[in-house]
Amino acid sequence: MLFAGGLMALLLFMVGVPLLMVVLMSLRTGFPGEGGPLTLANFIAVYSAPGTYKVLLNTLLFASGTVLVALVFAVPLVWLLTRTDLPLKGTIYVLMTVGILIPVFLRTIAWILLLSPRIGLVNQWATQLFGLDHPLISLYNIPGMAFIQGVSFVPSAFFMLAAAYRTMDPSLEEAAYTAGVSKFQTFLRINVPITLPAIAGVMVYLFMSAIAVFEVPAIIGFPARILVLSALIFTSTNPPAGLPDYGLAGAYGAVMLVAGLSLAFFYVRLVQHGKKYTVITGRGYRPRQISLGRWKWAALAFAMLYLSMEVFIPFLVLVWASLLPHLQLPSAEAFSQISLSNYETIFDYVNALPFINTAILMFAVPTATMFLSVLVSWLVVRTQVSFRGSLDTIAFLPHAIPSILLAVGLGYLGLAYRNFFPVYGTIAIIAIAHTITWIAYGTRTTNGVMIQVHRELEEAGKVSGASTPRVLGRIVLPLVAAGIFNSWIWISMLSYREVTMALALGTRKNLVVSTIVWQFWGNGWVLQVAALGVVLVLFVVLVVGALKIGFSRLGEVGPGS
Amino acid sequence: MIRIRGLKKWFDSRRGRVEALRGIDLEVAEKEFCVLLGPSGCGKTTTLRCVAGLEKPDAGELEIAGTIANSPTRRIYVPTEKRDIGMVFQSSAIWPHMNVFQNVAFPLIRGRKQIAKDLVAEKVHHALRLVQLDGLEDRPATDLSGGQQQRVAMARAMVTEPKILLMDEPLSNLDARLREQMRVELKKITKAVGVTTLYVTHDQAEALSLGDKVCVMYNGEILQTAPPHEVYAKPNSLFVAQFVGEMNFIKGHVTGPSQVECPLGTLPIPVPLGVSVASSVTLAVRPEHVKLNCADGLLDSLSGAITSKNYLGDAQILEVNINGLSLLVKLPGDSEFSIGQKAGVMIPLDRWHVYP
Repeated sequence: MLFAGGLMALLLFMVGVPLLMVVLMSLRTGFPGEGGPLTLANFIAVYSAPGTYKVLLNTLLFASGTVLVALVFAVPLVWLLTRTDLPLKGTIYVLMTVGILIPVFLRTIAWILLLSPRIGLVNQWATQLFGLDHPLISLYNIPGMAFIQGVSFVPSAFFMLAAAYRTMDPSLEEAAYTAGVSKFQTFLRINVPITLPAIAGVMVYLFMSAIAVFEVPAIIGFPARILVLSALIFTSTNPPAGLPDYGLAGAYGAVMLVAGLSLAFFYVRLVQHGKKYTVITGRGYRPRQISLGRWKWAALAFAMLYLSMEVFIPFLVLVWASLLPHLQLPSAEAFSQISLSNYETIFDYVNALPFINTAILMFAVPTATMFLSVLVSWLVVRTQVSFRGSLDTIAFLPHAIPSILLAVGLGYLGLAYRNFFPVYGTIAIIAIAHTITWIAYGTRTTNGVMIQVHRELEEAGKVSGASTPRVLGRIVLPLVAAGIFNSWIWISMLSYREVTMALALGTRKNLVVSTIVWQFWGNGWVLQVAALGVVLVLFVVLVVGALKIGFSRLGEVGPGS
Repeated sequence: MIRIRGLKKWFDSRRGRVEALRGIDLEVAEKEFCVLLGPSGCGKTTTLRCVAGLEKPDAGELEIAGTIANSPTRRIYVPTEKRDIGMVFQSSAIWPHMNVFQNVAFPLIRGRKQIAKDLVAEKVHHALRLVQLDGLEDRPATDLSGGQQQRVAMARAMVTEPKILLMDEPLSNLDARLREQMRVELKKITKAVGVTTLYVTHDQAEALSLGDKVCVMYNGEILQTAPPHEVYAKPNSLFVAQFVGEMNFIKGHVTGPSQVECPLGTLPIPVPLGVSVASSVTLAVRPEHVKLNCADGLLDSLSGAITSKNYLGDAQILEVNINGLSLLVKLPGDSEFSIGQKAGVMIPLDRWHVYP
């Protein structure tokens, strides 16, 4: 009981204090720690400026566009991969997993190298070929931003929807076929409506995430002067010139926080509503996969088109750029200039510290997150503690908190109360931010894993006289080890690719690899970005590949539930 | 009418090829109610799903209502949605986003036999009246009880008046009392409509009471196809004898042309063709065919002691020990025997079955 209370207090502290800081800084002016009376000056300044409403509109358009793009690809892909005899399914799954782990900013940069009006390869090529005096296509607009962000969200949407599809009784479809309804009509009138609550849930979740993302708005939005909320929050606390204004960031953040929390509430409601629709069959009959017939190749082409945008094209562009002395179209001359010199010179630009810091994150963050998650899930799923429901809700809350706000709140805490919380500017503060964010994901998976381990297994241990810690260590832990290991790896990789929080909390002393790439890009070292990016992607492929081959016995490696 | 010839189906698993169907031959006549009975994994559901086209057979021909629906040698495969069938699933498979009316009307609006809009309502009402659900048209389908949902599924399967009705354990998710009630109704409905029915179940009582014809399946093969009373009275193989109804089994061996020796003595009963002298056989007799005589066994050649008693209300099952051999005996519930009592045992010779 004491232990449960302590854990509750710790979680409340971890999740609540950064939020409190966001509220506090929105009510204060001046530099963090200067104190002063509480005031509404920040809100008045922000919400009386007409520019703010333009930003809100941009955010809304960008988020809606992102959701649209993500669903247009994710919904058909889910159906194709869970229900049909689409070829190469295993490969597509792996590539989607790799796709999630490729940092969004790398994909964004690759697409800029391709479609930038000035240096973009496609536009260079079009100008040469057709003699155009204006760029053929440009990425620097809201549709362009939504396109890249949407493509990046497809795997998340895919894995969430796939879970909903798997719980759907296949005889619901078969009943339609035996009634003489065509496959397409069945998809449209049975599959889609039944999974609509799940799709709506994913829409809300993606919208919530799209409001909070920072990478695409920063890399494309800043140069194009298209500002969204997250970008404003970032520039308020990390201005290119002058002093940071945490007050303004807080006032912008408040609206984002309210939107995030209400969307999260809505999301939970939708998910509960969706459960009404899931019908569990009497037996585990594996339905026959729908034969696509001559549509097979069209469907495969669709999946490949998506994977090209998500993985292949960005990766090839990065590889091409990284091998050249300057960005140019493929030609005999270009091929004669190919060399590895961009790779060899990476360490002329950067020392080993960011790599060490990233390694620290990749080990410390998943370990801390999974440790807390196991304890929380054990209390929530297994014990009768009276406040276990609230504990679960608090652990889920970070899902609803935009990561940039969490980082800014933590940063404010570190600056204003540095005597109590002396971690500002260290790698520890980034690790804490990551841990808080991923505890929501960690507890979701550990909850699922714990539910699968039958309570009676534990009770049998207790009846035979083992103490609670021994039951946990000798019976529960070995049974859940594979699931926990899977989540550990996944969180480690998420920490590896994360850049928003690392940037918002970054100083010269706690640089990590992802922020280094960001700096390179800011300095215009395009070819070094490409070289480092290729190395980052190859590392992801290596890790995912090794796990697929080496640890397939230990359970599915991937984003899990 | 359904005609199945040499139907084969195999699945390739990690441990090699698993033969789910090893050559099924079956004919279901017009308006006949045929039941596929067997334990789980015997291939009965796979056979049904092949007829529905939800599963693609690897060999064999399938004819539905006079048209070839499947023939790998002639490269014919009619997809499910083009076959003239209706199907009821174990999980009822009621579409949760539609109400009762919409569920039943869907095959008429989007299905193979689309009809004019103004005729739909009449057809749906007719189908719902048949399953006694008229008046519930506007209810959300998920609000109905399990039994009602299964009735909706039945109405939905029959609303297009298909030539063939397929049912995959439609009653197994219902509780016992409701199941028996639905069994009676199901028979009435299919007879009233006069549809050719193929029905899958693992419940022998269901099979015996519903079927005009019962096919007992085991290990991907049909062992016996016969009317229910014949399957019960003359099981043609040891497996059918074990699976359908209760049976006592006794090991014995053949000692003469019509003579079997077993722990109960030497019995003058005919042995099946092809079973030679000195080979071992299994004798079988149903518990209800064993008679007990309370007169201490003086007049009978056999006597035994009652070792246990299982009272069921309308009947009781006694266990009788005869020379160390235990036999089950089924008697009316009001018979007065008690544990420990000695009794004479009599088994009419024509009640014995002999299996190689």
